[in-house]
Amino acid sequence: MKIFKPFEELKSINRSTILSGWLIMLISFWVACSFGETHLFPTPSQVLAGFKSLWEAGLVVHIGSSLWLCTKAVLISVFISMVLAYASSIPAVKPTGTFITKLRYLPLTGLAFYIAILVSDARWIQVWVLVAFMTTFLTTSLIAMIKDIPEVEFEHAKTLGMNRWEILWEIVIKGRIDYVIELVRQNLAMVWMVLVTVESILAAAGGLGFLIKNNDKLGDSGKVIALQIIIVIIGLTLDFLLTKIRKLIFRYSNF
Amino acid sequence: MSYKVTNTLLYLDKVSVGYPYRDGNGKEQINLILKDVSLVEKDIIRDGFDSTGQIVAFIGRSGRGKSTLFKALTGLIKPTSGKVLITDMSTKAVDDAKEVGEGDVGFVDQKYTLFRHKTIYQIFQYALKNSTLSKADKESLINKYLSDWGLEEHKDKFSCELSGGQRQRTAIIEQMLTSKHFMVLDEPFSGLDVGNIEKVKLAFNRISNDDELNTIIFSTHDIPLAVELADSIYIIGHPEGVTDYSTIVKHYDLKQMGLAWTPYGEGHRALVKQIKEVVLNS
Repeated sequence: MKIFKPFEELKSINRSTILSGWLIMLISFWVACSFGETHLFPTPSQVLAGFKSLWEAGLVVHIGSSLWLCTKAVLISVFISMVLAYASSIPAVKPTGTFITKLRYLPLTGLAFYIAILVSDARWIQVWVLVAFMTTFLTTSLIAMIKDIPEVEFEHAKTLGMNRWEILWEIVIKGRIDYVIELVRQNLAMVWMVLVTVESILAAAGGLGFLIKNNDKLGDSGKVIALQIIIVIIGLTLDFLLTKIRKLIFRYSNF
Repeated sequence: MSYKVTNTLLYLDKVSVGYPYRDGNGKEQINLILKDVSLVEKDIIRDGFDSTGQIVAFIGRSGRGKSTLFKALTGLIKPTSGKVLITDMSTKAVDDAKEVGEGDVGFVDQKYTLFRHKTIYQIFQYALKNSTLSKADKESLINKYLSDWGLEEHKDKFSCELSGGQRQRTAIIEQMLTSKHFMVLDEPFSGLDVGNIEKVKLAFNRISNDDELNTIIFSTHDIPLAVELADSIYIIGHPEGVTDYSTIVKHYDLKQMGLAWTPYGEGHRALVKQIKEVVLNS
């Protein structure tokens, strides 16, 4: 049986059959776990009702609020991370970037405390907590990306008589801009995951995090699972779009 | 064929290259790769020819320091001791030499590294960025190279969209456009099919005929090809009784031997045998 052999190439019909099989198993598992006295999940009909109810309660506004919060945080942290990572190629500034990468072990709660002291507006506290979180991880990824640039590319630039600033601009910044989009895509998944925690800081601003926390408190598991599904779908859509955008803008970006 | 040698173009004076490392006791030591490499290459003028560039080949077994020597030749690494001198093209004075620095010598590595985010046309434009030519002249020069080297229809392609041969030609032109007379090519024939090898040979001829001072330095494991193309061949390897560093163990001046610029024949075949013997013993 080909489908049980490692590294076998399958026809698309076979791949679709395998995928359908797994989906059926997943749904069956869900259904099986949603009945009985001590059921694990809400039933599919409860989740559907949850969707309907959330939609009627203005789900789109909350999605918009979460996306806007995420966008602001991502843009700021991409800017800070790029500056820190590119500057880390300068020996005198390198320790700054390295220090920021170590901060990724700092708990979010600790970070939120210091940000709350510095920022008075609650919505901006959320933004800056996300920024602080994403910046540490994105800077780490960007510095690793720069480190991974093959030595031959730098040597090639040197043989063309380029000075060190030209090398930084052409090889590292311009030459790897598509990698930045890819790293943002990877780190966005983490930001999207902690969004729930961060949005619970300020209930008045709404958002998917507020909704999920609120419904969790009320014990409405149908809505909680519906929101989980929505969060996953939006996350996957963002992921897909960033890959598409990268490939569309940068034809040479073939990874 | 009558010829005369004039000014010194390339001069290596007892060049040694090593990399520092720490031994078991934490003491810094030098891992010597090359020791006392010396050579002189002069400008060749052939009677009846407008320009005759120099073609120098380096042959040696793997791990004998050819790539390290090329990095020293191109100014990418500083020799631990000794000097690499080239003709200073910025002065009009004859025999004016300078120590080689980054950007003085063109280098085409084994992978034909190019900018990944530029098309062929943009690569050539960038290579000419410091040129004093007018915009129109730059464009016409680029178009001439594209057409002469069979890259016209690929000018809007990125490096990842090119074949190995196209990449190599692009890398060679890019270095030529930066107005360098010295070009080092690390194993330019490795992995190429028969057709592409012929194209590289043509490229060598073009570079050589382009300017009197043009000097191609290349390494190869293909001894017959080196004998066919080069007018000077250096064998790099371990000297007798030594295994921890390499140096030039033999030099063949094909001009003096009457084998340069002549059709491949019996003399070339005999030299191939000799070189093979020397390479195997070094």
